[in-house]
Amino acid sequence: MTVYRRGYNRYQGPITGRLSRLLVLPKYSWHRVLQQRLVVILLIMAMFYPLGCIAFVYLSNHVELLKGFGSGIKDFLEIDGNFFLIFMHVQGIFAIVLTIVSGQKLIAPDLSNGALQLYFSRPLSRADYVLARLLVLLGLLSLITWIPGLLVFSLQSGMAGWSWFAQNWNLGLSVFIGSLLWILLISLIALTCWAYIRRKIMAELSILGVFFVLNAVATIGNNVLGVTWASFFNPRQVIDRIWNGLLGITPESGPAVFGCWIALMVMMTLPLMILTRKLRPVEVVS
Amino acid sequence: MHTTPIIELQDLRVRLGQQEILQGISCCLGVFGTGKAVGLLGPNGAGKSTLILTLLGFHQISAGSARVLGHDCRSHSREIKARIGYMPENEAFIADMTAVHFLRIMGELSGLPQRVALEKAHEVLFHVGLGEARYRTLGTYSLGMKQMAKLAQSILHGPEVLILDEPTNGLDPAARLRMLKLIREMKEEHHMNIVLCSHLLRDVEEVCDEVIILDEGRLVHQANLEEERHTNRRFIELEVTGDDSELADALKEEGAEGVSEGSGRWRIVFPPGMELDVLWQLVARQNLAIHHLTHRRDSLEEIFLKAVGHLDPSEQSTSELTEKETAHDRL
Repeated sequence: MTVYRRGYNRYQGPITGRLSRLLVLPKYSWHRVLQQRLVVILLIMAMFYPLGCIAFVYLSNHVELLKGFGSGIKDFLEIDGNFFLIFMHVQGIFAIVLTIVSGQKLIAPDLSNGALQLYFSRPLSRADYVLARLLVLLGLLSLITWIPGLLVFSLQSGMAGWSWFAQNWNLGLSVFIGSLLWILLISLIALTCWAYIRRKIMAELSILGVFFVLNAVATIGNNVLGVTWASFFNPRQVIDRIWNGLLGITPESGPAVFGCWIALMVMMTLPLMILTRKLRPVEVVS
Repeated sequence: MHTTPIIELQDLRVRLGQQEILQGISCCLGVFGTGKAVGLLGPNGAGKSTLILTLLGFHQISAGSARVLGHDCRSHSREIKARIGYMPENEAFIADMTAVHFLRIMGELSGLPQRVALEKAHEVLFHVGLGEARYRTLGTYSLGMKQMAKLAQSILHGPEVLILDEPTNGLDPAARLRMLKLIREMKEEHHMNIVLCSHLLRDVEEVCDEVIILDEGRLVHQANLEEERHTNRRFIELEVTGDDSELADALKEEGAEGVSEGSGRWRIVFPPGMELDVLWQLVARQNLAIHHLTHRRDSLEEIFLKAVGHLDPSEQSTSELTEKETAHDRL
């Protein structure tokens, strides 16, 4: 029978499980996000560097193709921690830009028209909601960070052989953990900015501010005061030190890696606390 | 047979900031599975919405307890939410989403399988009268349409309890009637238990079987409207066919007063204590056939005003007198 003739009938069939309900929001959000042309363009652009890396890996394993460039080319083409550090930095910048472009429609529309009370009147907690929204960004950013990173790593492992993998397996793990930490931090900061700042342009500027202006402020602070701890306020420098630590690279100078881990935890906990406070189904004015 | 109350409150206290909004409410409302409606009445700021939001787990309980369908609101919030539908008072939608898409998401979040959610979204939108507008974005809807969309999302998953917060707010008379009709239908045909929060006495009176009146965070009155309906039948509208020329005199003999409005229509005022059977017998003796009979009840307003302290017991007799005078004026 056609729907318009059917009339209302109470649904009394089986209901889906918690995980299935949790994935409802990310599913529809990914669909919405990928309908934005700019997001698709950025996603494609973000694939260029990994493609370049794949070519690089291929060449480093076929040095005989570059005989004409001299013997020094072999050292230049070495696949090591530095190679993956640069990869993570490049893709990390793309991740910030992609977050700014794609994430605006995640939380702001729910807040601006009071849709949160409809979500939370269903079997969906605040933690579920935050997790669902995080999954949207994490899923999207994974496409340009750790997934191509692991792809490059797998390709290198396949071409260089078991001995290379046995010596460098930690690089793959580092790319995965390092990228995941970075995209988690970006997502949390971005969601917090969008939850608090209703105007799109202001929210975008504030995200840029956290990642780029703080970088400049921390550098100036370090230079003026002659210290290194100002870097703890700079997410990019903090993650850089952690990446260095994970990849086994010893940087020339800068704050301690352990301190950076603590700073990162604080940077993640703060937005989470702010988000949980902001994402209430009803505003209480006391 | 179920005997679980829909809502069970025991010395419920809710504090928001420095202010105690609900100040020790205790009551048992409705019986699960009976398809009865409970009305929450009270002036603005009485704590009606706070009570609803507490039942939904949106506000923390500072003392006492609240149970919905036997589940504790603090520890079993998820179980409660899986069995209820909620229509909030304020705007609640995503402006740039079509109604059908929005409802589909809400259905899936409530636990409907993907295909069922889409089917139900269409079905419910047609049912509430938004079938033709279901592919329009919610931001373009009028206030009345938004209210209907909110109702649609609350009944989409076939909840056992439907909590409606001021459902007729901002509706024109026709839309209001349609909304009340839909709510009654959910109650009577689909056996949902309704909790209706409103400051409009008429709405509560038309839909609810039981009512509690809140004032300044306290429960000031609890009434069973069904019983009230049985006891308050002083005003009767009657429509008969046949020769009714002697009806006025016959009514007078029984102590009632009636006036003809033409075409067999009568308005009758019963004296206190007189039963409806008398009218049936009287009409039968006159060889008249009853086509239409309605009780007129003006009691809820009186109960409400008395409960919130706007009507002294001494004023009540005056009110009754005025009511009678008004009835006489009408007659």
